Amino acid sequence: MVPMSERTQEWIFWIAATILVAMMVHLGSIYLLPRVVMMRALDRLGAVNTMHVGRRPTAASRAIVRPSPDILYASCPYDLSKGPLRVTAPVIHSSYWSVSAFDANTDNYFVKNDSQTPTNTIELVVVEHGQAWPKLDAAVERVILFSPSEKGLILIRAVIDDDKHLPAVEAALHQARCGTVASAPKLR
Amino acid sequence: MHVAMKIVGTAIAGVALGLAATWFVTSRGDMGDGVADGPWRTSLVAGSLQSDPYTRARVALHGLLALNRNETIYYTATEDGSGRRLDGKCRYQISGRDPNTRWWSVTAYGGDDYLIPNAKNLYSVSATSVIRKKDGSFVVDVGGGARPRADASWIPAGEGTFSLTLRLYNPGPDVAIDPEHAALPEIHRVWCP
Repeated sequence: MVPMSERTQEWIFWIAATILVAMMVHLGSIYLLPRVVMMRALDRLGAVNTMHVGRRPTAASRAIVRPSPDILYASCPYDLSKGPLRVTAPVIHSSYWSVSAFDANTDNYFVKNDSQTPTNTIELVVVEHGQAWPKLDAAVERVILFSPSEKGLILIRAVIDDDKHLPAVEAALHQARCGTVASAPKLR
Repeated sequence: MHVAMKIVGTAIAGVALGLAATWFVTSRGDMGDGVADGPWRTSLVAGSLQSDPYTRARVALHGLLALNRNETIYYTATEDGSGRRLDGKCRYQISGRDPNTRWWSVTAYGGDDYLIPNAKNLYSVSATSVIRKKDGSFVVDVGGGARPRADASWIPAGEGTFSLTLRLYNPGPDVAIDPEHAALPEIHRVWCP
């Protein structure tokens, strides 16, 4: 084997170093991208632990890419650092309604639709792993959610299957609530 | 000095290459890792907890807050049935029958992934709004210019490239299991200037 010149060895070293930097930047940016996009989306949706009812999307709606103009959204960006979150919402039994939950890296970790919910209201209690639950009363339909991250999003979708149903769908979404509740005192 | 310049050069080239690779793998709007059913492409893992980092990055850019496919299937078409890029300067017809699902909608998006501005706020048709023929089938006109006829639904598509998203809410079990072979509407290009 012909020994490599010192100059060739140096070139190989710097090319390898460039490729290493490129791989680290690439993997790091792929990892960070959904987290940054989600953080920005949560910020733009408004105050945390509050339900925001969106208007019917139009071409002027720029908060989220590819919005559906046939769906009304109600959203609650949440932050569990102050305690668990309680969400209550009327269930609309028509063409399609669902409530879903997303964590801080965009993963959809929970969804339930109207055909899976026989009642007319639903309650969600969102806690982080290790967080004490709130006192629970006798809700008709309740789901306990374990959020994989401290911050995330509850999103309600309701289909507008006819323009004349828009006011009723809007009114139902405006009845949805979300807010922080105190953790129950720990049992000794 | 010489070595310092090489370090700076390596860092700049490495960052540029790394970001270029990220841009390259995330810039395509079809969410990647997907299957095609005619011109309609769908991701098999979008919105699920099993998403790999690459799918997650693509979904964040092109389909943030998507639901998993047992709940909703999103198909996106960027080309017509003959593989030509959808262009708002041309005229298309989406034709067929109701897909096997509880409810569906077809929506047009501009190259920026937002709804396309138009005077009448027409962005989509759905199972409940589409104008049907007597036999229940439908033809939807899509594209630039004026609405070609009153007895068919119409979605204006601006002047640049655009894409279509077909949303199936609570799809039938056969569609959820095998989204590659669902009976979906066809996209024909009628004319182009």
